[in-house]
Amino acid sequence: MDLAFTPEEQAFREEVRTWVHAHLPATLSHKVHNALRLTREDMQAWAKILGTKGWLGYSWPEQFGGPGWNAVQKHLFEEECALAGAPRVVPFGPVMVAPVIMAFGSPEQQHRFLPGIASGDVWWSQGYSEPGSGSDLASLKTRAERVGDKFIVNGQKTWTTLAQFGEWIFCLVRTSSEGKPQTGISFLLIDMKSKGVSVRPIKLLDGECEVNEVWFDNVEVPSENLVGEENKGWNYAKFLLAHERTNIADVNRAKRELERLKRIAKTEGVWDDLRFRDEIAKLEVDVIALEMMVLRVLSAEKSGKQSLDIAGLLKIRGSEIQQRYSELMMMAAGPFSLPFIQEAMDAGWQGDHVGAAHCAPLASTYFNMRKTTIYGGSNEVQRNIVAQTVLG
Amino acid sequence: MDFDFSDEQEQLRDAVRKWVDKAYTFDARRSVVAAGGFSASAYQAMAELGLCGLYVQDTYGGMNMGPNEGMVAMEELGRGMVMEPLVHTWMCTSVLQAFAPDDLKTEWLPRLAGGDAMLVLAHHEKGTRYDLHKCQATAKQVGTAWHINGHKSLVPAGDHAHGFLVPATVNGKQALFLVPRSAATDTTHAYLAQDGSRMSELHLKDASAHLISLDGLAALQLAVDVGATALCAEAVGLMEKTLTLTVEYMNTRKQFGVAIASFQALRHRVADMKMQLELGRSMSYYASLKLNAPAAERSLAVSRAKFQIGRSTRHVGQEAVQLHGGIGVTDEYIVSHCFKRLTQIELSLGDSLHHLGEVSAQMQETAGVFA
Repeated sequence: MDLAFTPEEQAFREEVRTWVHAHLPATLSHKVHNALRLTREDMQAWAKILGTKGWLGYSWPEQFGGPGWNAVQKHLFEEECALAGAPRVVPFGPVMVAPVIMAFGSPEQQHRFLPGIASGDVWWSQGYSEPGSGSDLASLKTRAERVGDKFIVNGQKTWTTLAQFGEWIFCLVRTSSEGKPQTGISFLLIDMKSKGVSVRPIKLLDGECEVNEVWFDNVEVPSENLVGEENKGWNYAKFLLAHERTNIADVNRAKRELERLKRIAKTEGVWDDLRFRDEIAKLEVDVIALEMMVLRVLSAEKSGKQSLDIAGLLKIRGSEIQQRYSELMMMAAGPFSLPFIQEAMDAGWQGDHVGAAHCAPLASTYFNMRKTTIYGGSNEVQRNIVAQTVLG
Repeated sequence: MDFDFSDEQEQLRDAVRKWVDKAYTFDARRSVVAAGGFSASAYQAMAELGLCGLYVQDTYGGMNMGPNEGMVAMEELGRGMVMEPLVHTWMCTSVLQAFAPDDLKTEWLPRLAGGDAMLVLAHHEKGTRYDLHKCQATAKQVGTAWHINGHKSLVPAGDHAHGFLVPATVNGKQALFLVPRSAATDTTHAYLAQDGSRMSELHLKDASAHLISLDGLAALQLAVDVGATALCAEAVGLMEKTLTLTVEYMNTRKQFGVAIASFQALRHRVADMKMQLELGRSMSYYASLKLNAPAAERSLAVSRAKFQIGRSTRHVGQEAVQLHGGIGVTDEYIVSHCFKRLTQIELSLGDSLHHLGEVSAQMQETAGVFA
């Protein structure tokens, strides 16, 4: 047992840190460190910088042009990016659909889609949830009917994150109503410029449009866009979930935001208020405990000696912590978190701030963060999964 | 970064587990409680397993092992709710090794490692709670000897110990002494603690003592850090045991014609217990892996860990009783004993509020999170 990273791992961290500091534009890190609004261009800019280095697909194996890093190296990369204030990699392309294409896609699909994902040129979205299928995802109804060498897709997806920017979308669609709901689902790649695809942004409680409804009205999809076998899509979706192990906990961002909370608390005069300070101290222990859990999972993956099936716990705890730091930041600002001036969340805004500039996004972020215990399998669904492993 | 246990550590775990399963069954433990809460033969058996000298250097006849081995052993002893104060043996041997003059080490460490003598820390006084800075007992030098006056409370198995580590002030500054049993005025006021273990009062009137260190606070802090880290590991073993008992019960107990493990309201509570267990285990690792760090870093890490363990033990203990229903509040069934031991762990060597206070007071303005 050893808490310290190996000299090789530390050297790797230094290499990543040096590179990130040299290439991350200060305009971007300023926005991230201050929770200011990121545009599509901001997110694309960082994706393309990473793409040039071959690090956008940082979890990819070498045979597909990735760096071939192990679990610990991936973690260190994510940590260095988060602490430096890099925008989060939009995961739908490089983290979510790419591994499925690598594992189950045809060589033609790999050749056609992976380069655009690796370079950051093509924006992907994820079409899973539907109005009637949230936690019960397998009940999804969007139909894909095979007609000759095409699928005709009809139906509606919803909560589709940043689909207003999307160029391609990977969807779970129903290709059969035989047997169990899970057995009639296929995994389809759809060009969002196709005729019949329409996107309507959904305004959320913070006034922003982070998610969308996506409609499919007799959309023609060439059958070569089917990934793997027809009616096996559920297995691929599950593979993808298994692929997502530790980064859903977002512990690296939590470390960065804990520091921001301390800065805000200090400026707002509650750092020396013991009642408030104790709440920060509790959160600090929460973050360390989460980090230790993440490191335990990474260590188990690295050695392969022990299996550690606590992904559900990581999701629950990580999301609760995200909500808590956003809550405490808002409480630190107190009444000055109340003004709802959306322009004040844009970098470089020249208007009059009410209170300190850092107050402007705090309440909006707090409201926005309520999503974290709902998405990615709600925390109640996660508890079902954890209970299943414990109780049988 | 590596959280795998070595083969030697796994062997140690197996050896301790085998002994606990064979010699420290729930019935055997009940007999120990009935006999006063201390078993000399159990303590001797632990010595034979090498546990008493786990931290003692081999030159003094010990195993010369480190905090990770300590953690492995304590997890197993926690599973069995072993009551003999091995944690105090570790605190005392660690302090003697780090602070005592050679003659004291030579006199005591081999006997402690072999289980021929037992030392316990006697630092509680009325009104001090968990504050290590508060101490009313006084020491004065008489020729080459030291005499201590004071009254210490809550001393584990005090009437069975061969001596005590005792903080006392010298000119207003805390020093740490070793008081042999023969020098104590009275240790006969002994009683059971809530978990069934034994405690006693210690009265010292001009008691002859050996000076361990004039920097008593540093020595005492080391003792408490070693002890609290061991308690964290013990708690992890016991929380795991408690969760296992609860799961077995829920899969057996039927109401409304089905096993109560089928009810979602209860299943979610079990998921939350598992969460608290794993958070606690993570912080127990953290404390063990920081126990050899420089003093300030070590103490902060231990406070962070003990705070989490306090929250975890309380949650797991209370929920285990609730999920067992009526059987959970009986003396007959084991789970109430797990609950009481878990509670006692939270209240020992700094409760959650105390350690939160330490974490809060020492919190850094910027980083504060490791790595």
